[in-house]
Amino acid sequence: MTGNVWVIVPMLCLGMGAFAIYLVARLVTKENGLLASLTTGVFVAALVAWVPLVTATRQALATGGPLPIWGDKASGSVALRSDPGALVIVGVALALGALTSIYSGRYLARDRRKELYYPLLLLMVTGLCGTVLAADLFNLYLFIELMSIAAYVLVAFRRHSRRAIEAGFKYLVMGSVGTILFLAGVALIYRERGTIALPLLSLAPANAPGIWTRAGLAFFLVGLGVKGALVPLHTWLPDAHGRAPSSISALLSGIIIQSAFYALLKVCLGTGMSARALGGVLIAVSMANMTLGNAVALVQSDTKRLLGYSTVAQTGYMMFGIGIGLHYGIPEAIQAGFFLLVAHAAMKALAFLSKGVHRFYLNTSTLEELRGTASQLPLVAVTFTVALGGLAGVPPLAGFISKWFILGRVLQPGEPLAYVGLAVFLLNTLLSLGYYLPVVARLFVAPDAVPGRTTGRIGVSAWMAVPLVAAAALVIAIGLYPGPWWTWLEGIGPYLLGR
Amino acid sequence: MSMNAQTAALLTILVAPLTAVVVLFLLRERGTRVAGWIAGASVAISLTAALTIVPALYRGQAPAVTFPWIPDAGIEFSLHVDWLTLPFLVTEAAVTLVAIAYSWGYHHTDERTSVFYALLLLFGLGMSGTTLADDMVLFYVFWELMLVASSVLILMWGEGERRGPIALKYFIFTHLGSLMVLVGLIVLYGATGTDTFSALRAGVTLDPGLTRTVIGLFLVGFSVKMAVFPVHLWLPDAHTVAPMPVTIMLAAAMLSMGTYGILRFPLSIFPRAQVAPFALPMMIGGVLSEVYGALMALAERDIKRIIAYSSVSQMGYILFGLGTLTADGITGATLHVVYHAIVKALLFMGAGWVLKSTGRRYINELGGLAKQMPLAAICTGLGALAIAGMPPFCIFDSEWMIFSGGFHTAHIGLSVVTLLGSLLTVVYAAQLIMGIFFGSQPEGLTVKKPHWAIVAPTALLTALAFIEGVFPAMLFDWVAHELPLILGGQW
Repeated sequence: MTGNVWVIVPMLCLGMGAFAIYLVARLVTKENGLLASLTTGVFVAALVAWVPLVTATRQALATGGPLPIWGDKASGSVALRSDPGALVIVGVALALGALTSIYSGRYLARDRRKELYYPLLLLMVTGLCGTVLAADLFNLYLFIELMSIAAYVLVAFRRHSRRAIEAGFKYLVMGSVGTILFLAGVALIYRERGTIALPLLSLAPANAPGIWTRAGLAFFLVGLGVKGALVPLHTWLPDAHGRAPSSISALLSGIIIQSAFYALLKVCLGTGMSARALGGVLIAVSMANMTLGNAVALVQSDTKRLLGYSTVAQTGYMMFGIGIGLHYGIPEAIQAGFFLLVAHAAMKALAFLSKGVHRFYLNTSTLEELRGTASQLPLVAVTFTVALGGLAGVPPLAGFISKWFILGRVLQPGEPLAYVGLAVFLLNTLLSLGYYLPVVARLFVAPDAVPGRTTGRIGVSAWMAVPLVAAAALVIAIGLYPGPWWTWLEGIGPYLLGR
Repeated sequence: MSMNAQTAALLTILVAPLTAVVVLFLLRERGTRVAGWIAGASVAISLTAALTIVPALYRGQAPAVTFPWIPDAGIEFSLHVDWLTLPFLVTEAAVTLVAIAYSWGYHHTDERTSVFYALLLLFGLGMSGTTLADDMVLFYVFWELMLVASSVLILMWGEGERRGPIALKYFIFTHLGSLMVLVGLIVLYGATGTDTFSALRAGVTLDPGLTRTVIGLFLVGFSVKMAVFPVHLWLPDAHTVAPMPVTIMLAAAMLSMGTYGILRFPLSIFPRAQVAPFALPMMIGGVLSEVYGALMALAERDIKRIIAYSSVSQMGYILFGLGTLTADGITGATLHVVYHAIVKALLFMGAGWVLKSTGRRYINELGGLAKQMPLAAICTGLGALAIAGMPPFCIFDSEWMIFSGGFHTAHIGLSVVTLLGSLLTVVYAAQLIMGIFFGSQPEGLTVKKPHWAIVAPTALLTALAFIEGVFPAMLFDWVAHELPLILGGQW
C-alpha cells in the first residue's frame, strides 16, 4: 500500500486512539475528565494531520495534478482518495468531534460505560472519514457500516431508557436495510461494469448506463437515501437524534447525515448517473425535505425531536442548492449548498449542546419545561438563541448568509423551476419561524410567571461552557465574515461537475 | 469638512450607539442608574454626527465609506449618505432620542433596565443602519436587526398576558414582508452581480415580466412594514402591547422605513415607465388604507389602539403621495414621514402621560381631565389638531403637497376622495380629545403627578409641530434635493 501518507494519517490517529482509549479506560482509570481530554487530544491530532492533506489536495487542484491517494499502485486499485468535498466534511467532523468530546467531559459524568462511549465516538468519526474518502464501493461499504454501527450503539447508549433502546433499534433496522440495498446496488453495478472502483468524477463513465447500472443506481439512491435522511426515508431520524445523548446528536445531525449524503453524490456521479439527472432528483426531494421537516417540526413538543425535524428541513435547503447546481451546471450553487452544510454543522451542534446542558442541570426534555430557564442558565439561553436564530436565518448569523448565497445562485439559470423552488424555499423559511421563535421566547419568559421555576443561577461547568462559546462564536463569525469560508469551498462545485 | 472628518462622522452615527450597547451589556445590573443617560448621550452624539454631514451634502458631496467584506461574492460593507437618506436618518435618530428621554420618566427601573436601553439602542441602530447602507446584504442585516430588537422588546416588556403570541405574530408577519424584499434584492443581485445601490442606479436590465414581479414584491414587502391596509394586521396588536417608548419608536420611526424602502428601491432603481403601471394601485391602496384606518380608529375605545389605527390611516396618505409619481406627491410623502413622526410621537407621549397618571387606557373610563392635567390637555389637544391637518401645524404642509400631487394626476376623483377622507381624521381626533379631557369625570379617577421626563419631551414635540408648520422651508429644501435621485430624475 502506497500513496500520499497524509490521506490515511487522520484516520489512523482516530482508529488507534479509539483502541488506546479503550485500553486506558479498562486498565488504568475511568476518570471522565481524563478520557474526554484524551479523546479531544486524538481529534486535535487528527485535525493537525488533516492540514497537510488539505495543502496537498489544494496543490493538486491548482496545478491540475493527480489528487492525493492511498492504495496499491501496482494492481491499480485505489482505496482512498482525497477530494475537495471530502476534505471539508472531514474537517468539520474532526472539529465537531473535538468540541463534543470536551463537552462530554462534564456531560457524561453521570453515565456508566465510559470505556465504550469515547472509543465508539472515535470509531464513528473514523468511519465517516473513510466513507467520504473511499475511492471504491467496497471500501465505502466497509466504512459506512463502521460509522453506522458505532452510531447505532451510541444512540442506544443510555440503555436504561427504553425509548433510547427503541430509537437505536429503529435506526439499526432502517440503517441495515439501507446498507443491504446499497450492497445489492454494488452487485448490480459490478455485473454490468466489472469494476467497483469509483473513478474521479471527471473520468466517470460517459456512456449511457445500461439496465443493471440503472437498477443499481436506484438501489444506491434508496440505500444511501436512508442514511442521508431523504424524505420519505427519514423516519428514523427524529427518534435517533431525539434519544441519543445530546453530544452524539450534535454529531449525527451536524455531519453524519451530510457525509452519507456526500457519499450518495459521489457514488451516483461516479457510476454513470448524469449530474443533470441527479440534480433533478435532488431538487424534487429537497422540496419534500423542507416542507415535511418544517411542517412536522411545528407540532413537536419535545425539543430534541424538534431539532431533528429541523435537520430534515435544513438538509432539504442544502440539497436544493446542490441540486440546482448539478442540474444546471452552476458550480457556485453547489458551493453555496456546502456553505450551508458547514454553517449548519456549527448551528445544529450548538443547538444540541445547549439543549444538553438544560437536560443535564434541569432535567428538561419538553419545550414547555424550557420556560423561564434563561434566569438559571443565562449563558446557555444566549447560545441556544444564537443557534436557533441562525437556523431560522436571522441576519447576521451564519444561517442567513448561507441562505443568501443559495438564493443568489439558484436564480442564475433563470429557469421557472428555480423560481418555483425559491417560492417553496421562502415559504418554508417563514414556516420555520413558527417553531424556532417560540422556543427562544419560552427561554426568556420571566421566571416568576412559571410555577416551580426558581431563579437561582446555575454555574455551568467549563467543560460545557467552552464548546458552547466556541460554537456560538463560530456561528457569529461565519455570518459576519463569510469570505474565507466561502473561498475554502471553492473547489467542490467544479469537482462534482467533473470539470 | 474634510473627507476624513466626513468618514468619521458617518461611522460615529453607528459606532456611538453600538459602543453604548456593549457598555450596557457589560454593566448589566450595575448600570441600572446610569443606563438611560448612557443611551441618551450616545444617541445625541449619533444625531449630532448625522447633522454635521448636512453641509457636505449642500456642497454636492456624497459621504461614503467602503470596506471589503466578502470580496469573492462582490459584497462590500459600504455606508453612504445622500439626500434621500438624510430626512429618514435624522427623523429616526431624533425619535430614538426622544423615546429614550421619555423612558427616563416612563419606564420603571429594575435589574433589566440596562438591557432595555441596550435593545432600544439596537432598534435605533437597525434603523440608522438601514438608511445608511449602500449594500444589499448590509441593508437586509440592519433591516432585520430592527425587527429582532423590537420583537424582543415587545416579548420581554410588553403589557399583558398575550405579549408572547403578539411578539411572534409581529415577527412572522413583518418577516413575510422582509422575505418579499429579500427576493427582490436577490433578483437584482443575480441580474447585475453587484450589490451596491450606487451601481444599481446606473440601470438594471431585466426581463419585463421579471421587472414587474420585482417592483410588485418590493411594493408589497415594504407596505407590510408601512402597515397599510390590508397588510397592517400586525400593527394594532404590536403597538398596543409594546411599552410606550417602543410604541413611539415603532409608530414614529419604524413605519417610515417602509417608505424609505419604496423610495430607495422601486422608485430609485427603475425608470418612470416601468413604475408607472403601479401608480394607480398605489393610490387606490393609499385611499383604502386612509379610510379604513380612520374608521377603525373611530371604532376603538383603547387610546393606544386609536392612535395605532391612526398610523394605518396616515401611512395611506404617504402611499397615495408616492403613487402619484409627481414631484409634489413625493415631496409631500417624504415630508409627511417626518411630520407624522413628530405628531405621532407627540400623541403617544400624551397618551402615555394619561396612562401613567391615571392607570386607565379606555376613553369611556376617562374624561374631564383637562382641569387636573391642563398641560397634557394642551399638548395632546394640539397634537390632535395637527394630525387632523389643521394649519398652522406641520401635517397641514405635507398633506397640502400630497393632495396637490394627487390633483396633478389624471385621477382627480381619487384625489377628492382622499381629501374628503381626511375629514374622518378630524372626527377621531376630536373623539380622542373629548373622551379623555372633556365631559364628565368618571368615579374614582385619580391623577398622579407625572415625571418631568414625560412632560419635557411632550412639550418639546408640541413646540416642534408648531415651528415646523410655520417655518418648513429648511426641511422642504432638504426633501426637494432627493427628487433628482428618484425615477431616474425624470420630472
